[in-house]
Amino acid sequence: MAGPDDAPGSPAPGAPSVTPPLEPIRSHRRIQFLDDEQLDRLQEATLRILEEVGVRFPSDRALEILGDHGARVDRASQVVRFPADLVRRALGDAPRTFTMAARDPRFDLRLEEGVSYFTTDGCGVATIDFDTREERPSRKSDVAEMARIADYLASIGFMWPTVSAQDHGATSQLHEIDAAVNNTVKHFQGMVMGSGPARRAVEMATVLAGSREALRERPPISDLICSIAPLAHDHEGLEAALVFAAAGIPVGMLAMPTLGTTAPATSAGALVVGDAEVISGIVLLQLAFPGTPVFHSIMKAWADPRTGGYVGYSLDSRARYAPVEIAHRWGLPSMGACFGTDAPTAGTWQAGVEVALDPLLGGMAGPELVTGMGLDRTYTLLCPEAIILDDDVYQRARHALLAEEVTDETLALDVIASVGPGGHFLAEQHTRVHMRTSLKRGLTHELAPAGGYRDPVEVARERVAWIRANHHPEPLEAAKAAELTRILAAADRELGAPQ
Amino acid sequence: MSSTPSLAPIRPARHARFLDDGQLADLRAATLEILEEVGVHCPSRPVRALYAEHGALVDEEREVVRLPAALVLAAMARAPRGYTMGARDPAFDLVLDGTALYVATDGCGIEVLEPGGGRRASTAADVATAARLADAIPAVGFYWPMLSAQDYPATAPLHELLASYPNTVKHVQTETVMGARPARHAVEMARVLAGDEATLRARPPLSALICTIAPLAQDDEGMEGALVLAAAGLPVGFMSMATAGSTGPATIPGTVVAGDAEIVAALTLVQLVYPGAPVFHSLMPGVMDPRSGAFLATPWENEIAYVVGVELAHAWGVPTLAGVFGTDARTPGWQAAAEAAVALTLCSLAGAETGSGMGLLESCTLFTPEQLVLDADLHERVRCTLAAFDTSREALALDVIRAVGPKGHYLYERHTRDEMRRRRFSPLTGQAAPDGRPIDPLDAARAEAARILAEHHPEPLDDATARELARIVAAADREAEAAAAGAGP
Repeated sequence: MAGPDDAPGSPAPGAPSVTPPLEPIRSHRRIQFLDDEQLDRLQEATLRILEEVGVRFPSDRALEILGDHGARVDRASQVVRFPADLVRRALGDAPRTFTMAARDPRFDLRLEEGVSYFTTDGCGVATIDFDTREERPSRKSDVAEMARIADYLASIGFMWPTVSAQDHGATSQLHEIDAAVNNTVKHFQGMVMGSGPARRAVEMATVLAGSREALRERPPISDLICSIAPLAHDHEGLEAALVFAAAGIPVGMLAMPTLGTTAPATSAGALVVGDAEVISGIVLLQLAFPGTPVFHSIMKAWADPRTGGYVGYSLDSRARYAPVEIAHRWGLPSMGACFGTDAPTAGTWQAGVEVALDPLLGGMAGPELVTGMGLDRTYTLLCPEAIILDDDVYQRARHALLAEEVTDETLALDVIASVGPGGHFLAEQHTRVHMRTSLKRGLTHELAPAGGYRDPVEVARERVAWIRANHHPEPLEAAKAAELTRILAAADRELGAPQ
Repeated sequence: MSSTPSLAPIRPARHARFLDDGQLADLRAATLEILEEVGVHCPSRPVRALYAEHGALVDEEREVVRLPAALVLAAMARAPRGYTMGARDPAFDLVLDGTALYVATDGCGIEVLEPGGGRRASTAADVATAARLADAIPAVGFYWPMLSAQDYPATAPLHELLASYPNTVKHVQTETVMGARPARHAVEMARVLAGDEATLRARPPLSALICTIAPLAQDDEGMEGALVLAAAGLPVGFMSMATAGSTGPATIPGTVVAGDAEIVAALTLVQLVYPGAPVFHSLMPGVMDPRSGAFLATPWENEIAYVVGVELAHAWGVPTLAGVFGTDARTPGWQAAAEAAVALTLCSLAGAETGSGMGLLESCTLFTPEQLVLDADLHERVRCTLAAFDTSREALALDVIRAVGPKGHYLYERHTRDEMRRRRFSPLTGQAAPDGRPIDPLDAARAEAARILAEHHPEPLDDATARELARIVAAADREAEAAAAGAGP
């Protein structure tokens, strides 16, 4: 089959493919979901929770650091209460911007408000097999496949492990890094937990960067640490976060409060609980390593009142985008929450309607980082075509938010005058020049041989096949790849035998 | 008889601007330049005479009317910025004041998708069925007859109105009434519905949308009908569907100003002849598929054109009918959802007063009841998401957070029980059958449409009004028959 219209030229046989330049959402049109007074009220509420209720830190090292810096530590309950001035002082050290580097410097992400880099979704556990279309547990090779697809898509600024490398047991998170960095030149963000795996991940990142100093300067990986709602951290998460922060690797603190079970059943209450978790984790990292790069993320969900099940999308998505403003109010970069439909499969009405507002309103909120395209069934199922469908929704939003060019050339008054009332523009030179660029065919406007347009889901599946067959990004240097393999082997021996 | 649920328009907590003042000024200046130097083709002699009478420059030979900028600006200054579009039941009146976006159904389709996948030509009965469905859906602010009454070829637009009014208490906007004679019948129907002249003007139960012809041309029937409707005080809007590459330049700004010039030329005439008449502006441009020549409403690049249309309307000082929904998809599914969200969200944020429309597939031609239910679900998502965020003491729930503390849970809290009832979940997603199997949202939508059509019977028209409307349309039928006989061999 033919490749997509916008495919880069085919490389010479055996030569690596060109990775298309990134196309982040740059929105000069902004929307505020919360006004300044509301943001202050939310911040004040977070500070009160931190000071009066506290957050549980099940890590002796974390408790020690926090106690040394003036937080009120209850060793028995492991609950830490934070004076407001301590919080403000610690956050004052957090950088507002930094660089998340890529293997190829052209794909470095220099974080700035209003330029939003999106990622693949993560971390699913099941895959619709790329070839057999049968559902099976996810594995390392799926991460590699998705890394190649992510490398090809201009909408993907950096990569999450889309699914878990479940064929590698206790070291799966390290194998996910290996699969990704061998198949994309873009930045990788892992979800490594525990001090042992984190130390190995830092070793891998050091190999990729070339040295410890280069790692601090241009970290090619970052890590995301999830807290446990309500108001608690995870031991393994804290230990990993401290290891990464020590090495200068950016760490994101993510809270996932669920309305009605692990958080109050109101959006504002849930955001306060999530914010208190995130801020307390960031305070720990800033007290331990002042100035270490961090980012803030809250991804809210609901408990289905009938079943208790986890619902990612209700009819009200305000709390998906409002946390971006909360992060920015604290002076922190934000990772926004987009995509990740609850639909059981890709390409359905539900898979479209739930995510259709996301990149538009997410982009207008102005987060630096945004997750994540390509999973169904509430972040658990990888359908290969899902990322292509999500990419189409993304590009629709990106185009809608581009600055409109109102110039003499685009207004075309001379052409309008020369055609006059009742004529047509088909034969105009201006039309020939601009039609080449004025219609980019998304998935929805691929012509069918018999007339009309093709089924966009079918087109998406073909795009996946085309990318798998044709896109082979610049490989990782052989020596670095071999070194990563050695680190993985050591990690497998130390942390758990591979299956 | 069933009660019609209250309207649920989109009331964004905040508005946003998409073009800056300089860009809007450039677009308006371009429109004025086109109107003054190029003009519009006006094939109706009486309409040209009206233009000439009020100071336009008319070339009778070419049937082209040119409008000096000062004339346009003076005329447009008379147009009201807001007004009320009345409904049969005053609780459903639409106050166009910029705080809410009321979305209509789509129109005017020509085919009905049958449950088995077959298709058939639409009839007046389908218009009635769709009106009853729309009446029960709070997201539908007003009703466009969704389908053509093709069983009455000569007087279809009037039969569409006759089928609509008994089946919805909401405002009705016709997009098919053209020509002075049908317009006079439509005005008679509106007068009967309003009951008296003052109500007709204060709360008109009918409005009309008239299409211009790109590039830069008017339809004689459209303009002559528009003047009849405007004379009676019924809100009249003009819509351009200029298409980049064929009937407009191959750039969005070029197509926008060409379309805007068509609309403003028509609005100017209405204001010259009937100063202060309620009017609206509707710009729904498309892009030509260069390989097939087809009109495409939903390419990525074209989404912004709809919100530019909204801002241009406001720059001219009139309300807008924004292009929202309207998918090129052939069946309900991913495409119809993915295509509809952006324009609806952006036009809401831009402060659009009205929009059209929900419920049709295949570029506004194909009706299936579940699509209206599905589009209403998307409308509800945008409505909820753009509403004001609640940071009240009750919403912040600090006392509850304090009581639960770290690592507890909120399941037993009274606050949880009370507040979970207020959270809004889609009735179409996450549903399970009694045996636990998940229900496909499309099946849920079909079931909901079927339930509404089985159970919902809005407040009927009183007998006298119903009889009078029927008499007006019967008279129009007889006139049409006589005209056809007269025109015969």
